[in-house]
Amino acid sequence: MNTLISVAESLSVIIPILLVVAFTTVAERKTMASMQRRLGPNTVGYYGLLQAFADALKLLLKECVSPTQSNLVLFFLGPIITLVFSLLGYAVIPFGPGLTVGDLPLGILYLLAVSSLSTYGSLRSTAQLISYELILSSAILLVVMFTGSLNLSISVEAQRVITFFVPLLPVFIIFFIGAIAETNRAPFDLAEAESELVSGFMTEHSAAIFVFFFLAEYASIVLICIFTCILFLSGYNSIFVF
Amino acid sequence: MTSQTFFFIFIPILAIILLALNLILAPHNPYQEKDSAFECGFHSFLGQNRSEFSISFFIFALLFLLFDLEILLVYPYIVSAYVNGIFGLIIMLLFFLVLTLGFAFELGKNALSIESRQVHYIK
Repeated sequence: MNTLISVAESLSVIIPILLVVAFTTVAERKTMASMQRRLGPNTVGYYGLLQAFADALKLLLKECVSPTQSNLVLFFLGPIITLVFSLLGYAVIPFGPGLTVGDLPLGILYLLAVSSLSTYGSLRSTAQLISYELILSSAILLVVMFTGSLNLSISVEAQRVITFFVPLLPVFIIFFIGAIAETNRAPFDLAEAESELVSGFMTEHSAAIFVFFFLAEYASIVLICIFTCILFLSGYNSIFVF
Repeated sequence: MTSQTFFFIFIPILAIILLALNLILAPHNPYQEKDSAFECGFHSFLGQNRSEFSISFFIFALLFLLFDLEILLVYPYIVSAYVNGIFGLIIMLLFFLVLTLGFAFELGKNALSIESRQVHYIK
């Protein structure tokens, strides 16, 4: 009975995460499209909402080409590690007071450790990641000085009086810039370089491996956004919720 | 088992299931053009695929290690800053000062500049 409850508990976190990641890809494509005065994907479901599932289905049925000169173990292991560590970071996100998959007293350290393991794409992206990881850690240090604990639920509860966005606005700006650099988004997307190289470090990976990189990238984007909300905008007590 | 345990076990299993689905359901027709590395306009030669590991990445990683460990050593002061008061702050600032002097030395030696591999042709 206990096993069933814990299985249901962790599945009720994992499945919405995967759905969020899928719909984030569609949302990004449609937002970028309307910024460029065109429609995004609009054929697949109502208004193109099922595009992510069509993409996933197509990619799973595609041939997985592994180049002749690659290390086969590393070729398959890299994306698996990236996906696993991107999704493992969701274990400490509180959805209510103490309502996490695992309520670690060192939640912030766990998140920093996991999020730095999940973006080792190529050497250049690793160098960028570790450069901005220091800035991220320093900004988190300042927020933790206010709360006095590394637990994420306590960090949300400590913002009942005022969210940390108001006194720590410069720290929020620094953290935001570091978060954009850590997830390889524009203007820090030299690892992917969408308008210059073909696909950066993801070029040779074809079918399921590409799904892993794709899921991992958007999962870590959503994770960093959730982390920002928890630290600065009072996570589940947020004024934007009600 | 607790929910953390199931969480940690389920995610690698999910990844392996997706990979296995792909390797089972997909066609497999390799030929030499498809399997070679991705180049535009020529065949890649057998020995030119791997470039050397530039030493500046190693220096970056080394410096990151040092300063990340410095931040890690500051974390116990941060969670007990209220108890330690100004005295703890001064001790922590002395610690930072020593490491900042080391960083100033390293900046003076230009350790953080990556040389460009771009070849300049002089006409």
